Amino acid sequence: MTRIEDAKKEYETMEIPEELSGRVLSGIAEGRRRVRRRHALRRTLGSVAACLAVLTAGLNLFPTFAEAAADVPVLGRVCEVLTVRSWQRSEEGESIRVTQPAVSGSDEFARRINAEIQKRVEAKSAEGDRMVQEYKEAFLSTGGTEEEWAQRDNTVRVSYDVKAQTESTVSFVVSLEVSTSVGYQEDDYYNLDVAADKELTLRDLLGDDWVNLCNTSIKRQMADSEDPSVYFDSTMGGFESVDETTNFYINASGNPVVVFPRATVAIGAMGQVEFEITK
Amino acid sequence: MKKEEALTAYLLENQASFYRLAYSYLDNREDALDAVQSAACAALEKLGSLKNQDAMRTWFYRILIHTCIDQLRRRKRVTLVPPEALDEGSYDDPSPDDSLAKQVNALPPEIQTVVKLRYYEEWSLQEIADTTGWNLSTVKTRLYGGLKKLRISLEGEYAT
Repeated sequence: MTRIEDAKKEYETMEIPEELSGRVLSGIAEGRRRVRRRHALRRTLGSVAACLAVLTAGLNLFPTFAEAAADVPVLGRVCEVLTVRSWQRSEEGESIRVTQPAVSGSDEFARRINAEIQKRVEAKSAEGDRMVQEYKEAFLSTGGTEEEWAQRDNTVRVSYDVKAQTESTVSFVVSLEVSTSVGYQEDDYYNLDVAADKELTLRDLLGDDWVNLCNTSIKRQMADSEDPSVYFDSTMGGFESVDETTNFYINASGNPVVVFPRATVAIGAMGQVEFEITK
Repeated sequence: MKKEEALTAYLLENQASFYRLAYSYLDNREDALDAVQSAACAALEKLGSLKNQDAMRTWFYRILIHTCIDQLRRRKRVTLVPPEALDEGSYDDPSPDDSLAKQVNALPPEIQTVVKLRYYEEWSLQEIADTTGWNLSTVKTRLYGGLKKLRISLEGEYAT
């Protein structure tokens, strides 16, 4: 017998602990559990996103506005919302399209708003990009390959939509949409009174009783809807009351339209839910 | 699911080989058991990365060897030496009188891997290259380097 055969024999006669098969089985079980947990995580990503949207829904306030409005003389001017910048970037598996609006005018008010919009558009495209990267990581670690990833089209879109415009006011929304395995949308609403150089609030539109007016109207609309059961009741964390952070835009009739992100007051399948509050 | 069943069956069938390899890296019963368990867990987790079931063996050994090397690295950072291990002579290099198996265990990990997979597990050099990710010539260099250290020539016995 050669020396290496001896060595092999010594190696092969090594004592195998009894608990080995138990350890292998628990390794297998733990591995299975982790895979399942990760799939579950993927499924709940949608509702996590919805929570994020609720957290960021309060972005509508411009704290610097009061001071700015006090200094600037009232001007009767027509305001327009224009696209100032539009760009897109595509790489493997991901494309980003950004359309950045701005309000016309060169005074301090327009400058401040435009700076604010620019800041948010940049934050939004970066956030969208981050979400896609996170999803990519999850995709690859759950067995997807780089090639499969490259064939996907995960889109980050930042765009805007003008809801209503009069001589003195303008209402528009800047949206971030991320489409990966889960759709994600986040909107910022801008309601500006250009003549008064200020951001409009629900109080400005509806008067001091705005909270009551909104709540009564929303609850009535929910109850009158085709299927009231799609709305969560208050025990399920559903609608309770509007407040200063509630999103809204102004429609063509000049009425405020209150907006709730997906899955906050109604089942997710309803998408974003809107209620027009008639004055 | 089929892939998962095949993996589970493979793991249970070959656990003794895994343990032996892990033990030869870690030289400690508990550590070897831990390594086999973590490698089994990691394999289930990473099953998606196994494209071809025929490659299961090389694929799993890659995971196992990485797990062992990781543990060795961690051990280097935190060295817990039990007093009985400090007996005189425990740091001695293996002497030529030691059994060949002991001398193999004293080789640097990369060389050990090649020698063990080649001669104990009777793998081809190509399979070793697939598992370790080293190219074929690196595998050969390491194998012959190892043999030289062991001062034996095996060409005649297990030539590729």
